[in-house]
Amino acid sequence: MDLSRRRFLQAAAFTAAASGLTVACGNGSGSAGSKNGKSLTLWYWGGALSDKVVAEAKTHFAKEVKLTAASIGGDFKSKLTTTLAAGTSVPDITGIKGEDMASFLPNANRFLDLNDLGFKDISSQYLDWKTKLARTEDGKQIGFPIDIGPTALFYRADLFDKAGLPTDPDKVAARAGTWDDYFALGTELKEKVPGTYLVNNIGSVFNMAVGQGTERFIDKDNRFIGDQDHIRKAWTTAVRPYTLGLDAKINDNSWNAAVGKSLSTELGAAWHALDIEQAAPKTKGKWRVCAMPGGPANQGGSYLALPKQCRNPEEAFKIISWILSPENDARGFADAAIFPAAPAAYAMPAMTGGDPFFGGQKIIEVFGPAAKSIPASYEAPADAAVMAPFMTELTSIESKGKKPDDAWHDAVSQAKQIARRQGVS
Amino acid sequence: MLSYWRQYLAISPFFLIFGIFSFVPVFYSLYLAFQRWDGMGTIQFVGLQQFRFLWDDPVFWMSIRNTLVIWVLSTVPTLFGALVLATLLHSVRRFKGFYRIALYIPNVTSIVAVSIFFGAVFSNNFGLVNAILGTVGISPVPWLSNPWLIKLVIALLMTWMWTGYNMIIYLAGLQAIPTQIYEAAKLDGAGPIRTFFQITMPIMRPIILFTVIISTINGLQSFSEPQVLFGSNAANPNLGGPGQAGLTTLLYFYQSAFVNNDYGYGAAIVWAFFVLIMVLVVINWRVVQRGRKS
Repeated sequence: MDLSRRRFLQAAAFTAAASGLTVACGNGSGSAGSKNGKSLTLWYWGGALSDKVVAEAKTHFAKEVKLTAASIGGDFKSKLTTTLAAGTSVPDITGIKGEDMASFLPNANRFLDLNDLGFKDISSQYLDWKTKLARTEDGKQIGFPIDIGPTALFYRADLFDKAGLPTDPDKVAARAGTWDDYFALGTELKEKVPGTYLVNNIGSVFNMAVGQGTERFIDKDNRFIGDQDHIRKAWTTAVRPYTLGLDAKINDNSWNAAVGKSLSTELGAAWHALDIEQAAPKTKGKWRVCAMPGGPANQGGSYLALPKQCRNPEEAFKIISWILSPENDARGFADAAIFPAAPAAYAMPAMTGGDPFFGGQKIIEVFGPAAKSIPASYEAPADAAVMAPFMTELTSIESKGKKPDDAWHDAVSQAKQIARRQGVS
Repeated sequence: MLSYWRQYLAISPFFLIFGIFSFVPVFYSLYLAFQRWDGMGTIQFVGLQQFRFLWDDPVFWMSIRNTLVIWVLSTVPTLFGALVLATLLHSVRRFKGFYRIALYIPNVTSIVAVSIFFGAVFSNNFGLVNAILGTVGISPVPWLSNPWLIKLVIALLMTWMWTGYNMIIYLAGLQAIPTQIYEAAKLDGAGPIRTFFQITMPIMRPIILFTVIISTINGLQSFSEPQVLFGSNAANPNLGGPGQAGLTTLLYFYQSAFVNNDYGYGAAIVWAFFVLIMVLVVINWRVVQRGRKS
């Protein structure tokens, strides 16, 4: 077919216009100049918010704005970072995972200060330590706490019973008050019920033990403190179950298969209950929860934030404070095991009921007090990166039988190097 | 050239898209290799500092070793198996299409799905392989925690995926060999093995070289396999499994740039890796040249 010049130019112009249109649409949500936009986009990931509450928010605010919620899959942080860096198509409201918050704080200027929008007045409703983790040194609040991850000890009451150990949560908590007590209990359990293990891997113990302290790997003056006593102590604690033979050494995806079979206890955050329930539905009614050895720590728990490009900050703030009000927070717990950051919710009927998976136990009685007594610690932007070599070396102990002392020295020297790379002195 | 402007315009979309989405990012990453950047904040020029860090980083060198070991462990059986399968398939008379499709399917299956499958099959505690070994009284093998077995499983996965692909290429090459040559050899009394090594192999040489190069590129880019195999619900995924035995260079790059928000260092890793691949290409080329002269 011979294309005439005119037809060709027409086609080319049409294509160009179409692509221009696409670009314009892509830009639409981010660069609108007006601050009173009529539509808002919300980015979150599956399980970050109760889908029911989000759906209700849409109808609740339908008169004022059109709320479009998008459940973003894959690596959420990367997607958010790239979008923010690009500056276009930025969501008006976005979720931020708790573990990523520290790395967003140095770029707080990309977000709106929620205190200006009225968070100041309601912040007392939310747990102070959690709120503080999303605040910059100069007092800018960029994250509105969604949930927290108070940790506890999950255990198989039926296996405990078989071993002649107490099964009542209070009694188990008393028997496993410290890490040493807990490992002693594990040794006894293993003798009576062969083939079961106390912990899935020692990295999880290390993670918990570090979280129980008030300091992590980098201090407020941006100095590396990962080689000091508090980390060394957590390390020694983590290595104990390995030397005692209580470690299941699970570092692959087989956790799912192990949880209903060879694992007798699990250390985990409140949201971990759902993982166990999904991985081992047949063990329904056999699990219980009690206070964690050595005190609670926090694991995970997320925030909502308003990027600077938000088209209607007032309305967006109204929406997030509605979604995260204590009443709706409590529903999030019932719907999706999202543990509220608002203590008022802990007394609400949605949370005080018995959980059939845990044999009707009122698990809020364990997580509620845990949530309030979590030690506040400073988390530096490079903290997760600096922690990684410790986790790796712990897996080296498990997989290669590396001497714990050698592993410790390698972990420290590797962590120091990463710290230097990330600008920590 | 100007009189062909319409044709050039017609093929321009590819080059525009390639330019915007491949060419520019490649050189932007070269620029980033000399900076410190967390992905959002200000970009800070640090000169060669990232490369100095790289030189002293034992994890980087380990990742290179891992990648090369996995590459050798997967490429050799892949190419050998492909050649054997292609020869077999070439002599098959019935169900040719079926065999071709069946052997090619692994290559079009999603790597993620295959990795999840392999993870389940080779799982230390509840895997199929260990279950089968258990029935004959062999104690469980730590497939996914022993440093060597981790590499072996990843290599096996890649072999499974790429054998069929190379087989199709070999098959095309085999079919291009005129049958008269084989007939002549048969008349001269050459057996099948002799025919294979003295006729098939020399004629197939350029095709084998092509697959070696393609396999080198694929093998050195292994990333998804270890990422999915060890991207569990552990506290720190993307570390490449127990003892980082499955940490390939590209996975290390991903971890540095996108998990640790250290984009400058990530860029330095891939550029250093690029230099290494160039060295391998030169070696490859030298080997080919020598072969031609003789």
